[in-house]
Amino acid sequence: MFSFTKKQKILNISGIEIGGQPGKYPTVLFGGLFFKGEPDYKNAEKQIINMIDISKKTGNPGVPDFFIKKEENVENIIDFIKKTLPKNYPFSVDITDPNVKTMVLEKLGKEKLLSRTIYNSIHVGITDEEKKYLKKYTPNTVILVSFNPKDKSPDGKIEVLENGAHLTSEGLFEIAKKIGIKNIIVDTAALAPGDYSGAAISAIPVIKEEYGLPTGCAIHNVVEKSKWLKDFKNSKKPVDAASNVNIPLFGGDFAIFGPIENSDIVFPIIAWQDILISEYTESYFGIEPVSNHPRRILL
Amino acid sequence: MEKKSVQTTVIGSYPVDLNNIKIMNSYFNQELFSWDPVIKSAVDDMIKAGIDIVSDGQTRDPFTNIYIRKLKGCRIRSRPEIIGKVEYNGPITVDDIKYVSSIIPKENNVIGLIAGPFTLFKSCVNNFYKDEKQLCFDFAKALNNEAINLSKHCNIISVDEPFFSLGMPEYASDLIKTVIKNVNCTIRLHSCGDVSEIIPDLINLPVDILSHEFKATPKLFDCFKEYDFKQHICLGSVRSDDPRVESVDEIKKHIKKGIDVFDKKIVQISPDCGLRMQSRSVAFEKLKNLAFACRDIYG
Repeated sequence: MFSFTKKQKILNISGIEIGGQPGKYPTVLFGGLFFKGEPDYKNAEKQIINMIDISKKTGNPGVPDFFIKKEENVENIIDFIKKTLPKNYPFSVDITDPNVKTMVLEKLGKEKLLSRTIYNSIHVGITDEEKKYLKKYTPNTVILVSFNPKDKSPDGKIEVLENGAHLTSEGLFEIAKKIGIKNIIVDTAALAPGDYSGAAISAIPVIKEEYGLPTGCAIHNVVEKSKWLKDFKNSKKPVDAASNVNIPLFGGDFAIFGPIENSDIVFPIIAWQDILISEYTESYFGIEPVSNHPRRILL
Repeated sequence: MEKKSVQTTVIGSYPVDLNNIKIMNSYFNQELFSWDPVIKSAVDDMIKAGIDIVSDGQTRDPFTNIYIRKLKGCRIRSRPEIIGKVEYNGPITVDDIKYVSSIIPKENNVIGLIAGPFTLFKSCVNNFYKDEKQLCFDFAKALNNEAINLSKHCNIISVDEPFFSLGMPEYASDLIKTVIKNVNCTIRLHSCGDVSEIIPDLINLPVDILSHEFKATPKLFDCFKEYDFKQHICLGSVRSDDPRVESVDEIKKHIKKGIDVFDKKIVQISPDCGLRMQSRSVAFEKLKNLAFACRDIYG
């Protein structure tokens, strides 16, 4: 195991702490909602309650990650967030369509939810309109997705953060700085199976050592797209959940672990991994886990 | 079809309209993003404009980055760096050139483009080599592998050394010799900028064609007059640094001036340099007028 020489930033996102040296803080887990089909609010509420309950048991913060696909869903999903989540509880909004992004930002501003929002995400596809809205309705925290189609290695991910790899006129860090984003976390962009997908994991310690920022990824996406796993019918779910242990193992701070329904499997696995890491980082580097760390709560 | 005595061509780069949202959508869907349509848009413009010898448009990156990104011992983070011994790590532009060959009409030819070793050295931060000459020759050896591979799929190779205009190293001729060793196709050396001071060195290089910015630096006509040399000439005839589109008459006048000086030594008519910095419509109009002027004069 290792410890970083670069001082690590610890962010407080509406009560959740994220970042720091390996073994200090529990891994933050993002559970996805509304990725498939029309939003099922009844089931979503049940799943959120379950995730928060497991989160309390293991100590790993759980963040509901709401996928907002269509313009017509914006109002309802944000109203649901406001109504359902505990007061001041953080959440993330995962949006790919630039038009939906601006609508969501405006609505979050109107509902005074921006201080709890993790905006997922800023990347090389950012539009001028999106920048304008982000300046007007600035979320507390933004995920920068360091996807670089020209170079999928950890170096390429740094390049896109630093200078935009000639895809944008400036790097993602500079874009976030000009918008006035307070908290930045970095997603190392897990790629399709066979397309250097392991770089998303190897980039975690590289980026943390370089910038000291909270870093992680959605490595489970690689499992989801691994066609060969179809031949192992009973294995897909455990493999999917287990893939997330790579993130804390490589010093990462958060995992976007896929459907929130997987909370029951993912939280204990990550708690187990966090305990293991904490045991040897305390023993070797003297890093004491915080009071809500799984090692403090579960052992 | 009989080969024309004078052909229109490009120096290398061509502007393209990249759709970053499309790139990111392929990432979100975990699909591989193909660069072929981007290359095709550049090649289609060249063909439509009437250019005889087309390139891949160097659409992926600034031309030095295309090489730095793929050579062993190099990396790009915030800027290109040398971090180890420079070696060939497999084909760099070969697949793109093969693709170009597969989509162009039979009567057109293909030019492969190699960023010269001296220019690569000058474009990087050297964090590894104590001896700059050794670095240049390691680049040259690596590029020789690419040139040999490339020559199997193109009719001509251009070695681009813009940094020569700021001063050629005494070992320049040996460097070029190393790059083109065992390469069996026509070799062009392109050096932009004011090369008037280095003409005696340029005409000693072991290449078939010399390519320079005769439009932006018309004094080169008089400077070259003073020398007897064996190489052919690629006559830069429209500016690459000016969005003004030269008229057909203006280009014809320029070519005629070139004929007065070089007569049958002229084998190629091209823009002064790569057109990457111009808008796509300006670049297209420049090429179209260039091709028209050349046909008017040479048939």
